[in-house]
Amino acid sequence: MKTRILGAVALLAVAAASVNALFIVPADLNQGEAQRIMYVHVPSAWLAYLSFGVTALAGIGYLWKRDLRLDHVALSAAEIGVMFTAFAIWGGMMWGQPVWGVFWQWEDPRLTTTALLLALYVGYLLFRRLTDDPHRRAARAAVVGLVAAVDIPIVHFSVEWWRGLHQGPTIGSPDRILNPAAPMQFVTALLAVLGAFTVAWAWLMIRRYQLAAAEARLEDAARRTRVAAARRATVAAARAEEATR
Amino acid sequence: MSGMDAIRTDLGVAWAIARKDALSELRGRQAAGSTLFFAALVLLLFGFALGPDTRRLTEAAPGLLWLAIVFGGLLTVARLHQLETEDGALDELARYPVERRAIYLGKAIAGLGAMLVLGGVLLPVVAILYGIDLLGAAPALVLALVLGSIGFAAVGTFYAGVTVRLRAREVMLPLLMLPVIAPLLLAAVKATAAALGGDPLGELASWLQLLAGYDLVMLLAGAAGYGFLLEE
Amino acid sequence: MSDALPFVVAGWGVILGGLALYAVTLLRRLAAARRAAGDEPAPHEDRG
Repeated sequence: MKTRILGAVALLAVAAASVNALFIVPADLNQGEAQRIMYVHVPSAWLAYLSFGVTALAGIGYLWKRDLRLDHVALSAAEIGVMFTAFAIWGGMMWGQPVWGVFWQWEDPRLTTTALLLALYVGYLLFRRLTDDPHRRAARAAVVGLVAAVDIPIVHFSVEWWRGLHQGPTIGSPDRILNPAAPMQFVTALLAVLGAFTVAWAWLMIRRYQLAAAEARLEDAARRTRVAAARRATVAAARAEEATR
Repeated sequence: MSGMDAIRTDLGVAWAIARKDALSELRGRQAAGSTLFFAALVLLLFGFALGPDTRRLTEAAPGLLWLAIVFGGLLTVARLHQLETEDGALDELARYPVERRAIYLGKAIAGLGAMLVLGGVLLPVVAILYGIDLLGAAPALVLALVLGSIGFAAVGTFYAGVTVRLRAREVMLPLLMLPVIAPLLLAAVKATAAALGGDPLGELASWLQLLAGYDLVMLLAGAAGYGFLLEE
Repeated sequence: MSDALPFVVAGWGVILGGLALYAVTLLRRLAAARRAAGDEPAPHEDRG
């Protein structure tokens, strides 16, 4: 019941914040309407990072406690994180075309870092599917997720450095929205979308976790059935052998 | 066992493993040689893809060199782990009360050796095919090569261990590794380019430092993670 | 600056649409898995 209420709140919040960002807040002086994309691009990126942080921590937690529920959390966060990362890249590209004139800009550290982020965690999800035993899968995933998480600050650093040698695009760093001089209304609009999306994220996490737990129970039941069937077959074969002697 | 003794034993084990792998490589059924040849072939193919204007190739040379090293390196680290699985020897190793970190270190050292050989072989190929003058840049170039190889060996040994028992491991190794290796590639190429170009912007030191930092972090992370893998 | 409107629509549309799609699919998968598992939630879960 509580989750349903959370879901309803999330829905309303996202609707309200979106309407505000799209129709109520005035357009930016420099970037015009294109800047509205930032209201959904920036929160997506933040939630992506939040998600992958959760994946890494849940992984460490599993390695420590060996509780499969933590692995469910890691899986949920990774899947949801991949979604938000894709959103962030999409938003970045949609913003880039009107503002920079191109969909992709190698000198933008955010875009390139986010692309690598997507690659890292899609890899994580694909990797998970290759192991069937739940505990082995959880341990391997935790380790892979950890190294991926460790890589991210390094990627940040190096891509910033990389860009620093060529002056970045002067118009439109996507983060202009956050500078101290930004009008209050813009900041509020951004925070509203961020808050709404975070509530939605929480609801998605809960539901995805429940799905993971349910699927784990199914996997478990299926395995027990297989083991029982194998045992019966072995017994039957032994009896048959006895009978023919 | 005292701390120092433990470390000495670890290093001893690591060295033993590294030597065993190196010997296997040398005796191996020409797999190592084939990898070298493949990497050189890649450089040749880049020439067909980006040529015939030598200027374009010369500009792109650092990037192309490191791409060839990466491709050859992927095959190399995979092969170094294949040695054990074929006979189930990895399970044997894991059973000994030997610090898993030592196994990781040993394999990473072997990997480093192979990568250095790879780089050493590819440098003259690059010089010839893309018209690069190596001699002026030698010390910085070697440093970039060494630091880059350490990082690749550190990451590669870890992921080779992760994927060695998986189905679809041929694609999973590069798929998992390449995003992690992106900063290394970036920095190594920049350092190489700076070394070859006489470092006009004074950035060589920064890139080498980034490489060194990357190497350190990845060695620690790889060693820590590898331990959990062999526990299964 | 070229007309940004289609990009704003595409940007927001895909993201909100994607969220909705994921949410709906998630609920469906959850319902199906619960049915298959015999609908016995573990004590720490809420069924809401």
